[in-house]
Amino acid sequence: MSTWIVFRREIAHYFTSPFAYLIGFAILLVTGLFFTQDLVASFNTKPADAAVVPNTLSILMVVFAPLLTMRLLAEEKREGILELMLTAPVPDGSIVIGKFLGAWAYFSIILIITLTYQIILAAITQPDFGNTISAYLGIWLYGGATLGVGLVFSAFTENQIVAAFFSMVTLIVLWLADQAGQVIGSVEIARIVRQISLQGHFSTSFSAGIIRAEDIVFFSGIIVVMLFIAIRAVESNRWR
Amino acid sequence: MIEVHNLTKRYGGFVAVNHISFTARKGEIVGLLGPNGAGKTTTMRMLTGYLPPSEGSAKIAGYDIESDSMEARRNVGYMPERIPVYPDMTVHGYVKFWAELRGTPNAAARTDDILKRVQLYDRRSKLVRQLSKGMRQRLGLAQALVHNPAVIILDEPTIGIDPAQVIEVRETVRALGKDHTVLFSTHILSEAEQVCDRVLIINKGQIVAQGTPADLRAHMRGGSALYIEIIGANDEQIRTLIEKINGVQQMSKRGAGYVIDLKSGADVRAEISKRVSKAGYTLLEIRQERTTLEDVFLELTKSEEANRMGSPAGEST
Repeated sequence: MSTWIVFRREIAHYFTSPFAYLIGFAILLVTGLFFTQDLVASFNTKPADAAVVPNTLSILMVVFAPLLTMRLLAEEKREGILELMLTAPVPDGSIVIGKFLGAWAYFSIILIITLTYQIILAAITQPDFGNTISAYLGIWLYGGATLGVGLVFSAFTENQIVAAFFSMVTLIVLWLADQAGQVIGSVEIARIVRQISLQGHFSTSFSAGIIRAEDIVFFSGIIVVMLFIAIRAVESNRWR
Repeated sequence: MIEVHNLTKRYGGFVAVNHISFTARKGEIVGLLGPNGAGKTTTMRMLTGYLPPSEGSAKIAGYDIESDSMEARRNVGYMPERIPVYPDMTVHGYVKFWAELRGTPNAAARTDDILKRVQLYDRRSKLVRQLSKGMRQRLGLAQALVHNPAVIILDEPTIGIDPAQVIEVRETVRALGKDHTVLFSTHILSEAEQVCDRVLIINKGQIVAQGTPADLRAHMRGGSALYIEIIGANDEQIRTLIEKINGVQQMSKRGAGYVIDLKSGADVRAEISKRVSKAGYTLLEIRQERTTLEDVFLELTKSEEANRMGSPAGEST
């Protein structure tokens, strides 16, 4: 119940904040550009890629997830709202989870808007819908995991910029691990490095139309662990 | 309604609140009075369930703040010193948000009631960011009252607003005392004196005195004090004359005259007048000194300071 109240307030915030609209606009603009480019290419050189939008998002979220989440707990802490919330008769976890779900829901709405591209695609060609569904499921979980990382850093500081900076660095490292894995000589080490990267669980599976349990578990696992850390971080306000 | 027993908060080696005990009955307005950094806010934060105490216990409306934290929190309304706001929310939305978060039934209707009470109803659809400082203060109060808690904790509610609004807030607090228990912190003495039924003077994390404002005043001097001004005699002559009078505890110089502390119940005005004229001096002025809470406060916090510094707290002329 209290999770729902926090969630509702968070969603309302996204829809009244110009900054959130700006991020939504940027995401739609960039995915739109890549989609158009792919569409043009599909007329003479190759078949249309059903996963082009999710693929683009998998890179964009490295930058935009921190921007969407940096405010969540850092601002509450600085404004003293967190203090007041922690005196309300609600479990600490429901505050954090409500906020996370709010951010994830906003991301999901942007994702739903990008389905327009799929409608356009379906109108002019015959895309592989199986691949589209798989890629969308993948990017939805992938996005949740990046938002989770952003939430954790937002929970640890009062400064939104610091939160955004550290979550961006973390996400870039997680993202680059995939690239690193491709150039490492030793196969065993390369496999381990790729296993912990975000891209490693997306680009060769969901994006190619393969839904694997291990990838779903990986992203859900990241979300759960990040929520756990964020809840502890909020709780730690009481220890001071 | 509020029962506090040996409540203590330590931050590392620093003791912010040191074994505080007090109780507040239903309908009582209790003032926490102390200089900045005395431990008022920390005490309040423990009672609202934000900070766990290091030692000791407290009960809010019969619920222990640690073992029964959720119930205790349901019965507390808290207004922090700085009102936290969501600037992008409407006044109504903001208060309703807190009502819902605290599980108030009929949150929307209850919000309307409370907004009427704090005179923000006509601004219910304005954004919080558009409110003036005084209105924000009332918004903070609305937020603390909306779930109709048994205990209301207000941290320096009159800070930073203009005098007319200060009076308004004080009146509101007084009115709240009718059906709620109010714990209220301030470092303004006259405010505590006007608003509170009982005052706890807190300094360096400890309660140094408590009682009604009148009690504290009486307790402090043991009795009353007189101010006299005499001409026609030197300091020594006056002292020998007055100090012999039965009922005089001590006298000290202040400005052109003297302050005489009396034993409780003693009235020596007639005696002084008689002796002064008999000795041939002139009594210019004699009046009763009323000890204000300010004196009590200064004396308590000063002697504390003096003890710490290891020097005697004597008045010298």
